[in-house]
Amino acid sequence: MDELTNVYIQESREQLAEMEAGLLRLEQNPEDGDNIDAIFRAAHTIKGGSGVIECAFIEQFTHRVENILDALRNGEASVSGALATLLLECCDHMGRLIDVLAAQQPEPEAQLVEHGNALTRRLQVFLDQTAGTAAGSANLTVQEDEGTVESSGGGVVDTDAWHISIRFGPNVLRGGTDPLSFIRFLGSLGEIIGIETIADAIPSAEEMDPESCYLGFEIRLQTKSSKSDIERIFDFVREDCDLRILSPQSKVSDYVRLIQELPEDTLRLGEMLVRCGALTQTEIDQGLRDQKQTTEVSGEETPPPLGEILVGNKVVHPEIVEAAVTRQTQVVEKKAREAQLVRVHADKLDQLIDLIGELVIAGASANLLALKSRNGELVEATSVLSRLVESIRDSALQLRMVQIGDTFTRFNRVVRDVSKDLGKEIELAISGADTELDKSVVEKIGDPLMHLVRNSLDHGIEPVEQRLARGKPACGRVSLNAFHDSGSIVIQVSDDGGGLNREKIRAKAIERELIQPTDSLSDAEVINLIFEPGFSTVDQVSKLSGRGVGMDVVRRNIQALRGTVEVTSAEGQGTTFTIRLPLTLAIIDGFLVGVGKASYVIPLDAVVECIEHKNLAGDRNFLNLRGEALPFIRLRELFEVEGSPPARESIVVVQFGGQRAGIVVDQLMGEFQTVIKPLGRLFSNLRGISGSTILGSGEVALILDVAALVNIVTRSEEEHLLPNRNSASPQLAYTGNSTFVSSGR
Amino acid sequence: MTTTQTLCLAKDMTIYNALDQKQELLDALSSSDDVELDLSQVGEIDTAGLQLLILMKKEAQRAGKRVVIVAHSQPVRSLIDFCNLAADLGDPLVIPASEAN
Amino acid sequence: MSTIMLVDDSATILLSISSILTKAGYTVEKAPNAEEALKKFNNGTRVDLLITDLNMPGMNGIELIREVRTLPSYKFMPILFLTTESQQARKMEAKAAGASGWIVKPATADELLNTIKLVLR
Repeated sequence: MDELTNVYIQESREQLAEMEAGLLRLEQNPEDGDNIDAIFRAAHTIKGGSGVIECAFIEQFTHRVENILDALRNGEASVSGALATLLLECCDHMGRLIDVLAAQQPEPEAQLVEHGNALTRRLQVFLDQTAGTAAGSANLTVQEDEGTVESSGGGVVDTDAWHISIRFGPNVLRGGTDPLSFIRFLGSLGEIIGIETIADAIPSAEEMDPESCYLGFEIRLQTKSSKSDIERIFDFVREDCDLRILSPQSKVSDYVRLIQELPEDTLRLGEMLVRCGALTQTEIDQGLRDQKQTTEVSGEETPPPLGEILVGNKVVHPEIVEAAVTRQTQVVEKKAREAQLVRVHADKLDQLIDLIGELVIAGASANLLALKSRNGELVEATSVLSRLVESIRDSALQLRMVQIGDTFTRFNRVVRDVSKDLGKEIELAISGADTELDKSVVEKIGDPLMHLVRNSLDHGIEPVEQRLARGKPACGRVSLNAFHDSGSIVIQVSDDGGGLNREKIRAKAIERELIQPTDSLSDAEVINLIFEPGFSTVDQVSKLSGRGVGMDVVRRNIQALRGTVEVTSAEGQGTTFTIRLPLTLAIIDGFLVGVGKASYVIPLDAVVECIEHKNLAGDRNFLNLRGEALPFIRLRELFEVEGSPPARESIVVVQFGGQRAGIVVDQLMGEFQTVIKPLGRLFSNLRGISGSTILGSGEVALILDVAALVNIVTRSEEEHLLPNRNSASPQLAYTGNSTFVSSGR
Repeated sequence: MTTTQTLCLAKDMTIYNALDQKQELLDALSSSDDVELDLSQVGEIDTAGLQLLILMKKEAQRAGKRVVIVAHSQPVRSLIDFCNLAADLGDPLVIPASEAN
Repeated sequence: MSTIMLVDDSATILLSISSILTKAGYTVEKAPNAEEALKKFNNGTRVDLLITDLNMPGMNGIELIREVRTLPSYKFMPILFLTTESQQARKMEAKAAGASGWIVKPATADELLNTIKLVLR
């Protein structure tokens, strides 16, 4: 596919999203003219582009949509729910047409064509309603009536050339046009066989404004072009000049009339016409005499003195409406930001990130070698290098950062459609739309978010009667929020609905044998059971959420992104799902630790502090850290590393989701930038490991999954406290406040 | 005051310079009865520039003075030719255009 | 050869027009909106002709034309705007703001180049 089409497709999809967003706003604010303008502009851009790339099927359909939008814009049609819905459907259809183009099919399939026709028919109904008013306003501007030159006898001038007589208005130069370039351009229509420059209008020196135009021209043009072709050249100055065109068949009397109508002295003008070859001296003398006679014979008033006949101003200048300055702050800001953008193919960016990954590794390797060499200058040089590499890495990753806003706004439509289907009244509130995260993450978060939002719409928000009975506003609210938190991005989906019913969840979990009736679980643990495989609390599966995809899939998808999801809920007040994701999947700052001969990397942003500890008690797995209990885990035990621990072990204190835990290792090896290589499928079930990396020395180091480790640690502590509990759900993420570990920093 | 003053216009005779050049030209005309214009350095000329040349000729004629263009650059010459104004503005040699009329 | 500043919020239009202009030997300065274009003008970018869309979010084409006309170096620069047949009132408004002429969309390459030739100094 050629580049132009590619650009068009991408742009059209963006415009379509704008259009859809605008249409959704339209229902809320039907009177918002700026918004209607923006919608129109989006459709117009799509149509305009389709013309450029010559895609007829998009152009035709979009043209019809544009028509109705134009009617809306001009106030000829009014906004109604039905129209908004129809336009949204048109939006969808346009999207599908763009898909057809993107798939490089020459034509949409018959079914799609028929759907388009059906939409067109419905559009026509709205257009018909507006037809009456539209006709009235179509003719606001009065076109210049082409002055017909009446023939008043006399012979035809013997010439095959057009005669063009033009007097430029004073403001022509100020409009950035040079009259001479128009005259020169005439030459491209044929041959200028005669030209006279009329400078009579130039006033005396004091009055002459050098930025005003005073010139006129009498031109003989031999051309096959039509009158309108000639006129078109002067289109841009038509309102500001006096243009007369005589066809090659014009009679002498036509010229006489011309001479009389023009402001210059008759004789002088006659002379000019002779000079430029329009007429012979005889013709003009004869013509002028005839003219005089007819007026005398008929006894009418003599023609007004030449020079007094003003140029008939036949053009009705339509009033120039000083349109109020439209301000569309939101769109403006967004567009202004987009203006700074360069479109880069995602593949190129990924390639760059890959290369930088290699660079980071190579840099780390050089660093290690330099340190070993004990060559001060070399160490110095490599440390400068690694600082630069670090900056490049950060900038490169920044390149892939995108705002989450676009992902969020897509849900406007979902909320609108679904709430209509369900007969509920629900609004979507978006905050933190400018929070940035890696493009690769954004691409994959859409589905889980969709599921959570639909869940809130379907199960979260209660029916209107129930809401009113509970003293809540009839209109439910679903919120999407995003923010950064210590190296992660947090995305929240909340609703002000009924909240989760703990007893129901508990009962269902027991029924599904996820837990035992005797298990004592905290409230937070109970509601997080909804993420367990095969869990559904709704008695009747609705068509929206009951697609056989449960919350377990949501959690799995998020975990695949090295993220977590948890839910909090207050019964009767609402539910909040909190997703926590790494900002990027590609590179992390790591903290290198060693156990036996193996090396492990702990993501640096999870590290709180390091403690050296002698003779760590073997049987207990928590210690007293400044008065607080810190549970810990021995990597040596977890990964069954051979050998015995050294006398002095180190504890890396890590924090995740408000909980701290210690990781016991043999030695601390310092900070280390690392590129994450995903683990092969074989290791995907490995607990506590999120990836691997290659050290500068060429050895492989495993990257620890701090979230999982913290869970393992805190859970094993809970098991101590709650010996009755059956650990049937080993992967459950417990991050509520139920553990005894203090969560404060 | 019959000394001949030669005025060499260094800048383009376009509308951007028209205000300044009008003053420059008229100053020359008021300080001398005989102005020779050297337009060999004029890189560009447009309608505004052409108007100024015509204005100079007109003013000179009115005041009984003499303005001659003694040197044309190529753009100036081709514009004068195009507009069929050679008789008025074209001759760099002996006969002042105003007398030829 | 002349430099033409092209302002349009549609990437498709920007690309298609600029490729025609470049092929014809013009140097093209592209700007996706009026603000960006104005910045370039304020920086003294050499421009012999401005071609702008009228209907753009943010500062519209008419405001841009008005602003550019206040800058001494571009006071008499030819300015063309892109328009459609239906926008008669806008045409008048743009002319009043200081535009030299217009190009009716969609235009063929010939129409485009001819119009440029017509107004270029």
